Amino acid sequence: MSTKKRISLSVNGKLLEGEAEPRTSLADFLRDDLALIGTHIGCEHGVCGACTIMMDGQAVRSCLTLAVQAEGTELMTVEGLLDENHQLHPIQEAFIEEHGLQCGFCTPGFLMSTFELLEKNPSPSDDDIKEALGGNLCRCTGYQSIIKSVRLAAQKLQSANTAS
Amino acid sequence: MTAKIPQKLEDLPSSEPRWVGKDVKRIEDPKLVTGLADFIENLQMPGMLHCAILRSPHPHALIKSVDASEALKHPGVSAVLTGEDVLKWTNPAMTVPDGWGVYCLATDKARFVGEPVAAVAAISRSVAEDALELIEVEYEPLPAVADAKKALEEGAPLIFEDKGSNVIHKRLFTWGEVDQAFADADHVISDSFRWNRLGANPTETFGVVSQWDLLENSVTCRGAFQSSSHFALGRAATFGLPSNRVRIISHPHGGSFGGKGGARGTDIAALLSRKADGRPVKWIEDRMEYLIAGGGQSWDRFYEASLAVNADGTMTGFKVKLLDDIGATGEGFGAISAAKPLAVFTGNYTIGAAQYDMTLVATNRLPQSPYRGMGPPPHYFVLESLVDSAARQLGMDVSEIRRKNYIQPDQFPYIIPSGNEYDSGNYEACLDKVLDMADYQALREEQAKAQEAGRLVGISVVNAIEPGVFDWNAYSAVGMPGVGVPEGVTISVDVMGSITVRVGFSLEGQGQYTLAAQLLADYFGVEMDQIRVVHADTASAPPHFGPGGSRLGVALTGAILGAAKKLEDKFLAVAAGLMQTEAANMEMVDGWLRIKGVPDAEMPMAAVAGTMLARSDLLPPGMEPCPEATSVWTAPGRAEPDEEGRCKSYLTAANACHVIMVEVDRDTGMVEILKYFVVDDCGTRLNPGNVEGMLHGAIAQGIGAALLEEYVYDENAQPLVSTFMDYLMPTINDVPDTQSAAMVTPSPFSPLGAKGCGENAIHLTPAGIICAINDALAPLGVAAKEIPASPNRLWELIQSADYPQDK
Repeated sequence: MSTKKRISLSVNGKLLEGEAEPRTSLADFLRDDLALIGTHIGCEHGVCGACTIMMDGQAVRSCLTLAVQAEGTELMTVEGLLDENHQLHPIQEAFIEEHGLQCGFCTPGFLMSTFELLEKNPSPSDDDIKEALGGNLCRCTGYQSIIKSVRLAAQKLQSANTAS
Repeated sequence: MTAKIPQKLEDLPSSEPRWVGKDVKRIEDPKLVTGLADFIENLQMPGMLHCAILRSPHPHALIKSVDASEALKHPGVSAVLTGEDVLKWTNPAMTVPDGWGVYCLATDKARFVGEPVAAVAAISRSVAEDALELIEVEYEPLPAVADAKKALEEGAPLIFEDKGSNVIHKRLFTWGEVDQAFADADHVISDSFRWNRLGANPTETFGVVSQWDLLENSVTCRGAFQSSSHFALGRAATFGLPSNRVRIISHPHGGSFGGKGGARGTDIAALLSRKADGRPVKWIEDRMEYLIAGGGQSWDRFYEASLAVNADGTMTGFKVKLLDDIGATGEGFGAISAAKPLAVFTGNYTIGAAQYDMTLVATNRLPQSPYRGMGPPPHYFVLESLVDSAARQLGMDVSEIRRKNYIQPDQFPYIIPSGNEYDSGNYEACLDKVLDMADYQALREEQAKAQEAGRLVGISVVNAIEPGVFDWNAYSAVGMPGVGVPEGVTISVDVMGSITVRVGFSLEGQGQYTLAAQLLADYFGVEMDQIRVVHADTASAPPHFGPGGSRLGVALTGAILGAAKKLEDKFLAVAAGLMQTEAANMEMVDGWLRIKGVPDAEMPMAAVAGTMLARSDLLPPGMEPCPEATSVWTAPGRAEPDEEGRCKSYLTAANACHVIMVEVDRDTGMVEILKYFVVDDCGTRLNPGNVEGMLHGAIAQGIGAALLEEYVYDENAQPLVSTFMDYLMPTINDVPDTQSAAMVTPSPFSPLGAKGCGENAIHLTPAGIICAINDALAPLGVAAKEIPASPNRLWELIQSADYPQDK
């Protein structure tokens, strides 16, 4: 078996180190080695989007990314949405208020895709939302409540920005 | 003794309910939006091993030998399980009907592609998968059968040789004078339909950690179990253990919809643990395993059906002939799914006579599993399609033929020919409400204009009954024993007055923990976040079943209110003693125990509970110091079915009416849903947000069924679907903005008047989309009769039309 490679990276603002075989996916590395279990694995072939995380400012599928590719990168996972006082992020609040989840398994991926969308486009149209979330599968909600959640999240973030 | 529980919201001991019936935030959500819920894949245990499963690449093959010696030598491997082990230690799976089950690993032969043949437990999943490649299996391929009709032919390969035939079950039900109804009818509308395999596909696959206790000879399984007590009984039978030696601990799961599966994986992991000195063994199914060989394939049906109709549109008889490809074994309850339409056989209509001729056949496809709705969604596809054909033939509007045949509000409770009793409803008001909402007349005008412009635009108006609160009793007709499916809870109040309720199920997405908290917060006059809801595993929970058959909301409400009432009675007796009066003079309102009509003569519930635990000297004689109560609810009025399968099988009958407008692209066969309107009546909505959420989710699943999802097999029974690139799940771009509204006709039979509503729209979204497509295609003189109506199927239909194609 191939030897493990050392990996240094930043996750949710913290510098971390770990070891992984070259074949280990980033999703498995995050979950098994870094104990960041919020990233979920739904299909392992890059279709469902449950494992979506931010890598250097871009949403990526952590199931299709190898752990060794994360060397030197800055990652953000769903755990990184909470603030230092463990308060929910406005996107998380919005998903709760608009029932944008039921079983919650796909939710971390939706939250990260939404995070990327709202970083790049603070006031998205419904078409923008559908475009951004078209690669995330949800089997429970039928998506309408997710669209409402993203709309509300955009409002919340905008009012927070206005207030500050 | 059953406690007398509130039947209406006004009966709750609350001056004004603050939570029940309101769209409250779910208590489940903070852990879910942070990724902190303890899904099974998160679980790590000391010494835990990981399992990988070797699966048959052949649809049908004798297993001549299995040599695992090299795999056992592989570094990091602790145990290898083969057919020899399972023959020694287990029994074949119990099935309905009996005798169509196999062992968790194939022993003599493999019957479908993906059937487990051997399994490895190792220090990691990747090492276990490496070791699978070292296992040598010698197969002798046999001819396979992938087609239900061919499986019935003389000389077809036999899936179970000892049965002498591939027919798992065959039964003809006749209800009323159906032949007479057809002989007397002005018109008989007949057609054939095909519903291809599709299924649940929750975003989380199945997962489990099983551990065998070698000293106690018991097994503990932690995992994504939908119905843990039922699952425990199955494991006890498989392992030949007393049922109290099997403990099932259910973790939150990422959706189920009936199709979580997992029995074989649970057993394999448990037996590997037994071989690996009792170390816990984890098996997490991957998506490819789920798609090829998991719990997600349902309803593989061929239908021939006829409707007897009079010239005025009155429908008098309905005959259905079903051939259902159950797959290679009976392990997944496919027979129950085929029998469930008995609960709603004639839909919303007063059709007086009916016949159901069902044949369930084994092939070399994956065994079927349950899926949301269980059996009626394909049945409604047939019934509603025939109703539309009748309307077309008679020149009636599709809404008017339905209106003419509705069961009327004053006819409830109404017993349908196949035996079930509907509790209540107002179908005509529901129809009118959705027609108003859609502005149906304007829609038809819009359609006419579009058709003039050469566009293929169609509209459907469909309705269905959702049978709610399932019970086994209906299914003794296909060999499932039992009457009464219990749901129990235990409510405890501690010395500080804090309330905890133990339930026998875990999180699955429907918001049931929130419902429990809503009910208890209103009952005892506290804030919702003061209620703690915890999962009790099979070793400690009261009798329970969990979600399934649109039952848990109603059943849980019954159990919670029953236990709360028992507690209230205890508190009244204790408080009466403390306040030196009789319990009959007392009442509880908003969590205060009061002497009726005496201002300020009151004590808070917390003080009474605390006194019970801390001052037993103050309790009335005979009262135990136990501020705790258990109640087990089951639906009333259940009985064994008669010789024609007739019985009251479901407690509630929710109804809904959908109006859908679609456009079919003439050049590509693609369908676009232009407009979607729903009015849904599921009685009292205990948590409107949960109800709406499930409604919209079920519409999306129905769209997947109608247009996208299909498990394709080739003629040799090789599955051609193994990823989400081949199995097309609806995305955010496939689901239209749906307008929905509620009607509320409470059930007279259920706690608080709520009706089962967890399956809802999947009953009629597939039917509704196909009916709308066929309305669009009607000018071409062709009709879709196969689900899913994929672009290639519709394109071929359009090409086959005897109609100028260049318009």
